[in-house]
Amino acid sequence: MLRGYAAFVYLFLYAPIALIVLFSFNSGNNASDFQGFAFSWYVKAANNKLMLGALKNSLVVAATSATLATVMGTMAALALQGVRGPLRTIFDGLTYVAIMVPGIVIGIATLIALVTTFDAANALIAGIWPGEAPPKLGLGYGSIIAAHTLFAMALVIVIVRARIAGMDRSLIEASADLYADPVATFRQVTLPQLMPGIVAGFLLSFTFSFDDFVIAFFVAGSQQTLPIYVFSSIRRGVTPEINAIGTAVMLFSLTALITAQVLLRRGRKPAG
Amino acid sequence: MTDSAVIQERSRRRWAYVLLAPSAFWYLALLVLPLIVVLVYSVGERAETGGYQAAFTFDNYLNLGARWTAFQNTLTLAPAGTLICLLAGYPLAYYLAVKASPKTRLFLLILVVVPFWTSFLIRTYAWMFILGGRGLPQLLDYIGIEGVRLINTPLAVLVGIVYGYLPLMVFPIFVSLEKLDKRLLEASEDLGAAPFATFRQVTLPLSAPGVITGCMLVFILLMGEYLIPQMLGGGKVFFIGNALVDLFLQSLNWPFGSACAMALVVIMVVTVTLYLKATRGTGGRDVSLM
Amino acid sequence: MTDPRKEFIAQLRRYQMGSISRRHFLGVTGLGTAMAVLAGAVPGLRPRPTFAAGEIGDKVSLTSWPNYHDQANLDAFAEMTGATVELTVFGSNEEMYAKLKAGGTGWDVFVPTNYTIQNYVDADLIDPLDLAQIPNYDPASLTDPRMTEPGSIGGKVYAVHKDWGTTGFVQNTKELPDKITSWKEFWDITKDKASGRVMVHDYQLTTIGNALKYFGYSFNSNDEKELADAEKLLIEAKPHLFAINSDYQPSMRNGDAWMSVAWTGDGKQLHKDIPEIVYVLGKEGGEIWSDFYAVPKAAPNKKGAYALINYLLDPEVNTKELLFHGYPVADKRVIAKLPPDVANDPIMYPAAELLTPLEFGASDVLTNPLRAEIMARFKSA
Repeated sequence: MLRGYAAFVYLFLYAPIALIVLFSFNSGNNASDFQGFAFSWYVKAANNKLMLGALKNSLVVAATSATLATVMGTMAALALQGVRGPLRTIFDGLTYVAIMVPGIVIGIATLIALVTTFDAANALIAGIWPGEAPPKLGLGYGSIIAAHTLFAMALVIVIVRARIAGMDRSLIEASADLYADPVATFRQVTLPQLMPGIVAGFLLSFTFSFDDFVIAFFVAGSQQTLPIYVFSSIRRGVTPEINAIGTAVMLFSLTALITAQVLLRRGRKPAG
Repeated sequence: MTDSAVIQERSRRRWAYVLLAPSAFWYLALLVLPLIVVLVYSVGERAETGGYQAAFTFDNYLNLGARWTAFQNTLTLAPAGTLICLLAGYPLAYYLAVKASPKTRLFLLILVVVPFWTSFLIRTYAWMFILGGRGLPQLLDYIGIEGVRLINTPLAVLVGIVYGYLPLMVFPIFVSLEKLDKRLLEASEDLGAAPFATFRQVTLPLSAPGVITGCMLVFILLMGEYLIPQMLGGGKVFFIGNALVDLFLQSLNWPFGSACAMALVVIMVVTVTLYLKATRGTGGRDVSLM
Repeated sequence: MTDPRKEFIAQLRRYQMGSISRRHFLGVTGLGTAMAVLAGAVPGLRPRPTFAAGEIGDKVSLTSWPNYHDQANLDAFAEMTGATVELTVFGSNEEMYAKLKAGGTGWDVFVPTNYTIQNYVDADLIDPLDLAQIPNYDPASLTDPRMTEPGSIGGKVYAVHKDWGTTGFVQNTKELPDKITSWKEFWDITKDKASGRVMVHDYQLTTIGNALKYFGYSFNSNDEKELADAEKLLIEAKPHLFAINSDYQPSMRNGDAWMSVAWTGDGKQLHKDIPEIVYVLGKEGGEIWSDFYAVPKAAPNKKGAYALINYLLDPEVNTKELLFHGYPVADKRVIAKLPPDVANDPIMYPAAELLTPLEFGASDVLTNPLRAEIMARFKSA
């Protein structure tokens, strides 16, 4: 019965995706009327500089913010194990609020805070800049990455800490008892146990950032991320090109996930 | 305590501070500072032509009633959506973590994540088509059920919510169930416990951290949701997220928008804190934060 | 010092031999400025590919409206100059204004509507244009000052005319054969026969404005009582609406919506593809508007911005744009190039008596907080 249910959920998850894929091969230029089989929208998408630029932006933003979030979040999660007192309370509180604050509020708050800061900073730079055209701070990659990292980092902290909580401490103690130095214990005992949490945190962060529309909508400058591009395209009136892009992105993700998995397997010790 | 132990303790502390520094900086610059700015804006006034003008007034908070419907819609559909996601997602996570063979488990898990990697917007767009006049309603029409309208209704928004956030519910539950020692289940079975009793007394408590995290993730995202009501609700189903976008990007009432945002943050913190208090003890000590 | 004339000849030789770039040549010889002046004065001298590759950077951002530019033209611009046009589209003038006001956008060119230009100037977001850099801007060939004047404030040109249009509604006559000619009928039929099939803009100016027209009030009314009437009508109509969304083309095309408040060009585009969809101007009046090109004060690539505006105002390009978007352009040079069926098109160039009652939106209407609140109440009702 559970199996049947799982099958049903997969159907629910994949029926719309099947539709997207099907219509990406539509020869007509309407996204809701299938007129015949063609590959032309893929060719069009592959030559669409704007879309490719947006895709590239999204990949850069997602990879950077997921990496930053994973590294900083894991560091914080490990450190928090040994911290007590007010610092711990404050830090926990901040993590709590970072997760709690909806993306849309993060977007708005980051926007007005950054713009206020930039205004002040630009005035300052203009005042001390010797040349004619002082550099100007503005919204862009940096602001999207910064805002995405905030939420993702809190997410990583929580996930990794949950993993730490469920970790088998006896191994660490055993390792310490055997007088292994802390770094070795960390690398050989702690880290492997935390790895699933770290990987999950990274994947979630990447996914969140890659897919986020609302924060980027507020804090992006003139650069578009893929979701912003798609949103604009839906406004412009959708052609199957969007379906082709969606299908390509999905294929790409699938390949990336499978490759990562194969690499992880190969890296694992056979005795593992 | 010996001297060396004290020194060790000190160096441990120092390490902890170093490890915490980057995330602490991030929190200060991108969470605390922006929220303070929002707080300052929320007691300001709307400038004549829109935007912010410095002032000190609580009018914006007193006026929150003007967005009551938006709060109400959000506070009904967000918990409802979370609950449906949980009911739909738990069995799948359970199946993946416990029942599926280890060989196919990873593949099946990836299958849950993959849709998440296709643009959320594109997937939601697919539902615009499915629920629109040329989609399901037309199919229903063929079999004699006429005049069904799905798109731009609260039901459509709910479908979009479940579709969009199901993977987010499945993932954490799976992670906590996967840690579950299967020998416990076997032991419970060996001791003659009925499957349901095993589930209730062993599986469910152990998966509680995942459930709590999953529900929170979905709930939080839903409370700030903008796209799904916009696309599947046709602008007719109005969430607080939509109200915020309008206040900031349409009517340029930044102070009132800031007040609404603060109210939303307070509602979130209060609801989630209460929720965590209520679920405390089920999540284990060290994940009590979540 | 060498003899300047000899130096010039030497530079010219080197240029002809191809050892220096055209830009360098123009720069060192001071001919650049002279050419720019000449080019403006003598149309025949206007060099088509004005820019060496890379001269104006590798991208120019253009912030505009949906279905408003022919991608082929933007591609051709990129081909010519090496600068890709980064096109972003917006849903409403408020949104555009809010984003620019918040700052840090990185926009080079944007397309504001008549009534917002005053707001941009007041908020110190745009500067007067350097017309010398837009040789294709020719005030003498503009046909209708009503459409083009809002770009000038205090005698300075802040924005140049792009095109103009009206706000009426589109109607699918196959699904809804009734002859509808007024806003009164529009709203009445919304609450009756067309229930669940009508869309209005997610845009207070036109949605409230056209509800005001139901009662015969001014499209621009800020009067509390009149606005209260309009609100009552909107809230009554809300359950009968298919959607509140300014992106009505997809729903009109797939048949989900039968009627929608619409702008000229969308009416034209829909009618062209689906002849049973017609564009109607309510006989009580409604909105007439015109759009402009402007450059934000903070534009990172001003040179590119001017190059893009100049390119889009080229009569040849502008005509191609018009044939794509379906909005009339008040420029003789463009009108002269139009095929007769377009020049006499009743959607694009409506009869004078239909245009007379139309009103230009007023800038205080855009920022009126009461209207914003009414819109919010309508959407959340």
